[in-house]
Amino acid sequence: MKEYRVLEIKQSVFEDNNKQADLLRQKLKDEKIFLLNLMSSPGAGKTTTLTRTIEMLKEKLRIGVMEADIDSDVDAATISETGAKVIQLHTGGMCHLDADMTKQGLEGLGTEGVDLAILENVGNLVCPAEFDTGAVKNAMILSVPEGDDKPLKYPLMFTICDVLLINKIDVMPYFDFDLQACIERVKKLNPDIQVIPVCAKTGEGIEDFADWLYKETIKWQT
Amino acid sequence: MHELGVVMEVVRVVEEFVRENDVEEVDTVVLQVGELSSMIPKYIYDVYPAAVDGTMLEKTKLDIEIIPGNGRCGNCETIFSVLQNHATCPNCQSTQFELLSGREFYIKEIVCY
Ligand SMILES: Nc1nc2c(ncn2[C@@H]2O[C@H](COP(=O)(O)OP(=O)(O)OP(=O)(O)O)[C@@H](O)[C@H]2O)c(=O)[nH]1
Ligand SMILES: [Mg+2]
Ligand SMILES: [Zn+2]
Ligand SMILES: [Zn+2]
Repeated sequence: MKEYRVLEIKQSVFEDNNKQADLLRQKLKDEKIFLLNLMSSPGAGKTTTLTRTIEMLKEKLRIGVMEADIDSDVDAATISETGAKVIQLHTGGMCHLDADMTKQGLEGLGTEGVDLAILENVGNLVCPAEFDTGAVKNAMILSVPEGDDKPLKYPLMFTICDVLLINKIDVMPYFDFDLQACIERVKKLNPDIQVIPVCAKTGEGIEDFADWLYKETIKWQT
Repeated sequence: MHELGVVMEVVRVVEEFVRENDVEEVDTVVLQVGELSSMIPKYIYDVYPAAVDGTMLEKTKLDIEIIPGNGRCGNCETIFSVLQNHATCPNCQSTQFELLSGREFYIKEIVCY
């Protein structure tokens, strides 16, 4: 009868991902590529916002987009109409992207000559917050119909983001969304976050987001 | 459900460890999961057989230890279980607290021959 042994591993799976993410960020720095990770619930307006933002920035920056989706190509087709380079990443049931998948996505996209790469993450406010993708900055979209209490329900997501877009402000009159209360809740969790109310449908407010993105990209490249 | 992808990552890490440490045969993989992590133990058990299928860890057992989600009150410093107290300090009712533990997801150890 053989003896049992216990071998300690004590390794955090999240930390392993964090290390991969740091390596990817360093690589992006060396190659002067800015990567934005864009997150939200399904249907909050990621693709619409990106389309608008690309229209505003495409004369100034070379842009590449990665669309993460379970298995459709609809979003990639929409983005390609702007003329930006785009790749559809089929996540096959995965509800988040980790640093390794993001790295593979960038390789698939081909980042030669790209200044700004944007990842449209899987629509989900829970686990994408736990997995660092290697992005330089994180942004999220909260849309008015989702309610102003989301920061209370998904605090981690609001804590890790650098920018929050509050989208669909055109439908504010039909919902009891308290913008001021929402901003206060978010700032309590994350005092440094920038909050930008937008309407991706009409383009209102998108300019402020595009400006922020442009400045951050240039800062990263120099 | 994201457990499958994450557990496949666990399998990758353990396989590497097994190779590096010349382990002959693994009996059990032991994980530690924080109560407030997005990894749900029931789902981890459910996806484990699929994740180890065709790997060195096929036929191994899985054991999960739960790490409690504890917070320290920002007002009176009481330490309390975040889940049981609905994120409110049982002593002074403050909802401001610092999370001390509960989001972890560790590969703790392997039991092997
Ligand atoms: N009223 C209004 N509708 C909007 C606005 N922005 C987006 N929408 C609509 O919301 C729906 C979802 O928008 P998408 O841009 O596809 O959202 P998404 O986050 O990319 O969705 P998924 O990729 O499926 O998670 C579409 O029908 C958009 O036309 C807005 O500012 N106002
Ligand atoms: Mg989309
Ligand atoms: Zn996930
Ligand atoms: Zn207290």
